[in-house]
Amino acid sequence: MSSTSPTPDRTGQPAVVVRDVTKSYGDRRAVDGVSLEVRRGEFFGLLGPNGAGKSTLVEIMEGLRKADSGSVTVLGESPWPRNTRLLPRMGVQTQSSAFFVRQTVHEHLRTVAALFGADREAVDTTLEAVGLGGQHDVRVDSLSGGQRQRLAIASALVHGPELIFLDEPTAALDAEGRRDLWGVLRGLKAEGRTIVYTTHHLDEAEALCDRVGILVSGRLVVTDEPQNLIGTFGAASRLLVPLGRIDEQQAAALPGVDGVTVQGGHLVLETRATGRVLAALDPLTGLDGVQTRTPSLEDVYLEITSRQTRAPLAANTARTAHDTHDADTTNRQEQA
Amino acid sequence: MSAYTALTAAGYRAQVRDKTTVFFTFAFPLIFLVVFGLIFRGRSVEQSGFSYLSYTASGVLSWGVANAAVFGIGFTLMQWRADDILRMIRMSPAPLSAVIGSRYVLALGVGFVQSVLFVGVAMLPGFGLVPSSRWPLLIPVLVLGITTFLLLGVIIGSIADTPESVAGIANFLMLPMAFLSGSFFPLDAMPDWLQKISLVMPLRYLNDAVAAALTGRGDLSDIGVGCAGLVVFAALFGAVATRTFRWTKHS
Repeated sequence: MSSTSPTPDRTGQPAVVVRDVTKSYGDRRAVDGVSLEVRRGEFFGLLGPNGAGKSTLVEIMEGLRKADSGSVTVLGESPWPRNTRLLPRMGVQTQSSAFFVRQTVHEHLRTVAALFGADREAVDTTLEAVGLGGQHDVRVDSLSGGQRQRLAIASALVHGPELIFLDEPTAALDAEGRRDLWGVLRGLKAEGRTIVYTTHHLDEAEALCDRVGILVSGRLVVTDEPQNLIGTFGAASRLLVPLGRIDEQQAAALPGVDGVTVQGGHLVLETRATGRVLAALDPLTGLDGVQTRTPSLEDVYLEITSRQTRAPLAANTARTAHDTHDADTTNRQEQA
Repeated sequence: MSAYTALTAAGYRAQVRDKTTVFFTFAFPLIFLVVFGLIFRGRSVEQSGFSYLSYTASGVLSWGVANAAVFGIGFTLMQWRADDILRMIRMSPAPLSAVIGSRYVLALGVGFVQSVLFVGVAMLPGFGLVPSSRWPLLIPVLVLGITTFLLLGVIIGSIADTPESVAGIANFLMLPMAFLSGSFFPLDAMPDWLQKISLVMPLRYLNDAVAAALTGRGDLSDIGVGCAGLVVFAALFGAVATRTFRWTKHS
């Protein structure tokens, strides 16, 4: 995937630097000692279950919330307190409710553009880019869910920011709309903009992000390129063999097979050694109709988050393990 | 286009496109005028020689203008915060003064139309209001009044998180204040201690100044004292408003 090769850092300065940031609400630690760097031109995905602290962490980066401790630098400046020098260089996707009432699509975006001092031509090109070119005169309250989401994204882009924060930008879009937006996002990245985004669509993160960070219970468990994560965590591949070719016991006995289940019309063989299993399977049944499912980011994500949430109180042991892993990741990044 | 101009234009469009609110904003004080006109037809306030109508006209006008200023900004700020519009503005470099300034100009516009309409109707034969020669002083008086009550509305819109609470708080303040400040009934008819209480109500000062400017009840010094009172309350409300203002629901 072309997007997995990060754009070279042209200024030497990361777009976002988060150092040991902590934020608590009462007794609950929403963000717990998170350190993170987002490079210039990078497409960074922040993943994690609901309530993991993603929104809080993003809002701290945006300068909407103040961290209890730790430091945040965005484009070389501190985002807190409200930094009007920094704000025009950042774009933040608004909620799909944040539209000026009783305005048309064009009037709304024109108003947003004026808030940033952006020119009027930018309004037309941005609406065109997000696929609302034909909706200029539609009232914002008559838009569909997907159209509202596009307008909310347009509100973040209209002033041509260097760094863009998007919060689940494709959540309300249909499959076609999602793919259209992927095109828009890839275009922004190609222009050298930095994008930080949260999503629950793991396939999307895998397809778009240069790197992802997985946040569980306020802690950043891992940060890496999606393909590296899949490799490092060694999630199992699945071989789908049509039923009747081989029975379950035979399959389980094959070298390299970790588990066997029946799903639909197939026997599903889980393995971390696809080549060995295929080689063993070939003389027994032939490989016609055998399908291979390689692990996805979603598999890795589910493994990491379930492991974390299963033993949240065994934090000490877990932390040691993660620290080690984070160190590995850091090393790899430095070598890269 | 500046942030201030854009917000004013968007606010103007939102306002004129909401026909129901436009109608009731302007009809509300007129209904009071008609009701009081019918109740007190032909009667005059004891000893003063002024007709009840001339009395209530200035009281209802100042209350109507103040009410519109409080409710207008109160609802807008609450709704903008609930819809995350304030959050969006917070994430832009636009200053808070552009937000409040645009609402201020719109409130002045509403107050102007309200006043022209109200005075126009009150001068019709059935009501028979005769404006005093000092009526041009009504303009600075009402501008000051709108400023003061708009700042009160900023406080309410910053504290309240739902439309119900905006209406609750604003009504709780504005309705008793209307009676206690002499907007609907002459203060002279009230006990001494109630008249003293009225001195801590901003509407009392607006009433007095409007009455002196519009109907000639009182002299220039009444207008001066009224304006001074309004300035004090504006400074007080402004100071509180800067402390209570919130860009987002959680801040």
